[in-house]
Amino acid sequence: MNTATAKTTTITYDDRTVRQFMIASIVWGIVGMLVGVICATQLSWWQMNGKFLEAVTGGLFKGDGLQYITFGRLRPLHTNAVIFAFVGNMAFAGIYYSTQRLCKARTASDLLSKIHMWGWQLIIVAAAITLPAGLTRGKEYAELIWPINIAVALVWVVFAVNFFWTLAKRNEPSLYVALWFYIATIVTVAMLYIVNHLSIPTSLLHSYPVFGGLQDGLVQWWYGHNAVAFFLTTPILGIMYYFLPKAANRPVYSYRLSIVHFWSLVFIYIWAGPHHLLNTSLPRWLQMLGMLFSLMLWAPSWGGMLNGLLTLRGAWAKLRTDPVIKFFAAGITFYGMATFEGPLLSIRAVNALSHYTDWGIGHVHSGALGWNGFMAAGMFYWLAPRLWKTKLWSTGMANMHFWIGLVGILLYVTAMWTAGITQGLMLGEVAEGGTTLKYEFVETLKAIQLPYILRSVGGTLYLIGFFLCAWNIFMTARSGKASDDTVEVAVPEKAHDRMRLGDALANDPVAYCVAALAMMILWFFLPPHADKAALLLTVILVVKAIRVFKTRGNAWDQWHESLLRNYLPFTLLTFIAVAIGGGVQIVPSLLVNREKNIEGRLQEIYTPLELAGRDIYVAEGCYNCHSQMIRTLMPDVMRYGRAGVKDDFSHLGESLYDHPYQWGSKRTGPDLAREGGGFVQGSDHVRSGKRDNKWHWFHFMNPRWANEDSNMPAYPWLYEQKTDFKSLPAKIAVQRQLGVPFPAWTKDEIDQQAREQGMAIARSLFEGSSPVGYEPIKGESTEALVRHFSESRVVALIAYVQKLGTYREITKEGAPAAVPLDPDSFRNISEKTEALRRGETSANP
Amino acid sequence: MFKRIILDEWANLVPMVAFGVLFTVFLVTTLRAIRLKPDEQKRMADLPLQDSDKPSDP
Repeated sequence: MNTATAKTTTITYDDRTVRQFMIASIVWGIVGMLVGVICATQLSWWQMNGKFLEAVTGGLFKGDGLQYITFGRLRPLHTNAVIFAFVGNMAFAGIYYSTQRLCKARTASDLLSKIHMWGWQLIIVAAAITLPAGLTRGKEYAELIWPINIAVALVWVVFAVNFFWTLAKRNEPSLYVALWFYIATIVTVAMLYIVNHLSIPTSLLHSYPVFGGLQDGLVQWWYGHNAVAFFLTTPILGIMYYFLPKAANRPVYSYRLSIVHFWSLVFIYIWAGPHHLLNTSLPRWLQMLGMLFSLMLWAPSWGGMLNGLLTLRGAWAKLRTDPVIKFFAAGITFYGMATFEGPLLSIRAVNALSHYTDWGIGHVHSGALGWNGFMAAGMFYWLAPRLWKTKLWSTGMANMHFWIGLVGILLYVTAMWTAGITQGLMLGEVAEGGTTLKYEFVETLKAIQLPYILRSVGGTLYLIGFFLCAWNIFMTARSGKASDDTVEVAVPEKAHDRMRLGDALANDPVAYCVAALAMMILWFFLPPHADKAALLLTVILVVKAIRVFKTRGNAWDQWHESLLRNYLPFTLLTFIAVAIGGGVQIVPSLLVNREKNIEGRLQEIYTPLELAGRDIYVAEGCYNCHSQMIRTLMPDVMRYGRAGVKDDFSHLGESLYDHPYQWGSKRTGPDLAREGGGFVQGSDHVRSGKRDNKWHWFHFMNPRWANEDSNMPAYPWLYEQKTDFKSLPAKIAVQRQLGVPFPAWTKDEIDQQAREQGMAIARSLFEGSSPVGYEPIKGESTEALVRHFSESRVVALIAYVQKLGTYREITKEGAPAAVPLDPDSFRNISEKTEALRRGETSANP
Repeated sequence: MFKRIILDEWANLVPMVAFGVLFTVFLVTTLRAIRLKPDEQKRMADLPLQDSDKPSDP
């Protein structure tokens, strides 16, 4: 465009929204980190679950704990606050600021900006109320209840409309790299969030996820892992690509690297979710897929990191004086560190040691505190003087924030590495002779108390750093005046956004990518020999594509350049790139892993009272500490399996009807997959597993009674609050709708069954010589106590715990047939055939 | 010639010892950095950050 003859227009940017998001991010960041510090201390001192209020209030509050601040309820609040409130608001601030400048246009709609800003804050407030109240879906980072989920989806749509409308109105024909990452963020988060939050409500405050068991686990970690990828990484990479060159006053190191970085990152990331379920009953082919794509992620992640750090070439001297560069350089370094560690932890052998321990916690915090937190701080310190047209109030204080934060993270991460590796090694150690384990679970917990305390210290230091940041930004704002930038920009002749869809899709680069991907996917799923042919074709296509690129590389470059001037085709291709990986994993699982394909163990369905107990278990956040997945590893089977039962790891069918699944991601307490058991003699209602009902009763009342080193909170309110029997018919109706084979009970039958089982369990608590003590109604008769407790939550919870891991054996007629879309079935058949040939097994075991 | 050390509680101790070593180095370095004289601090701060050989480069 000839700028000399072009028309110009004056634009005032909407910086008010940027200021609001930035302030919100700082405020919620401090709240989220404070809750994190409280959670950390709860693992060292059980009294921090509420008992400490006795001391704080001078005895006004009395009790062993406060239900609203137990670890199980606070931990989701911490993760949601940090991810969606702190990093979310920070990302929106950066996106709104940079998008307007990169598009040379004011945000399309002030109204939509306001709805986005205030809608998001209302969602956060709703989360801060509902999560401590025990209203949760029980899925990590997806805990919010369904009405809030709908609000999130609507606000996200408002954000998307506002963003793409701004792109459509832009005065800059070509989309800069930061905008690519924002586009990927918007479309992918929408896709992930909607699919993983598909639920059927049972009431205004409760719903069941539509997926169950393995499918739910897979969809959850497809979402969970990519929440990290597309909520905590891609928007921040966009911010890095905009703010780092601005702060360093240097162009991005390599434009071509940024193209490779973008497309490879958005394509590969989405496949890596199954690495959260390694060594579990997740089908082996999915585990291998997750591991391989995680390893491949090393390249694009480090491509991005190097592109960022090398942008600082020639500007390193600023590191001495400019806190913004300090934060950015350290943030990008932490990104590199975390994305080195991630693939490492995705190697199955390493994961056997690290999974379910604090190593994972250390890993995510090096990303959240190091990458996200430092990039946020750097951006705030750069933005504040510009948004309030003044100087940063105190560079010294910003430097102090940097050093305190850095020491805090390093202490935190190294403490968690130590805790995780120590616990992982101890849990796997066997005693001399190799037939028994060396340590009790609680001994391993006791061994990591020192790192736990140092983690709390590290987290506190990091939090103090953000207090300094808040004060510095507040004083900066006070010393200046909020004002919006006004600029004069050239209006281009409208030669962009003209590309037809056919031109975007029907060309060499897309055709080669699609054809090679199709062959690669056929390689995954076709039976032996046909898969090798598909692999060969994949290789041939890749070689051919490289040769074509060598001869027609310029045409490919031009096509990509023209794509960057057409935001809709670009967005469509981005969506296709991210949708493929999810589809390849999830669609086969939805089709294959159903009851009719299950061999061996199939979960027994819950009684109405057990279902109620399960919902209490989820509401109290027990899943935050206890897993229900015994991995296929020998030490796990030895520790959590039952003596004398062969292959007592958790099988696929054992959680088929669990909505939501409960495989867990961290073990602060032991695995509970085998906690349940069969009926006690002479009863159709009372079960007894590893421990009897009285043990569970006393354990919930005072975990120190069971083990003096336990860090589990006490649950006194479970003895007073009543089970919600009324909601059970609606819940069971939804479960039936989801395919759980509950009989067609009437409302009365459901109520009667629940009450009968409650009475039977309550009565069992009063049998024998050790009466159940209960202070509030001490003087009542046994019959009155039985009646009271039969309706109490603790009895429902005991009913659920005693059902855990119960199943019935399913045998199939004849040898299993291969199942299309399940590559493992081909392998199983060939292994069985081989065993049959050797005479090691019968055709119908 | 070689003595093999068998430590009964190695899984419990080794990561903690590693952390102790790391933490000590970290602490000593931090204390040293805090106690450095201003001139020395400036000289050290300038060391890895020269974009060119010119000493006056900012």
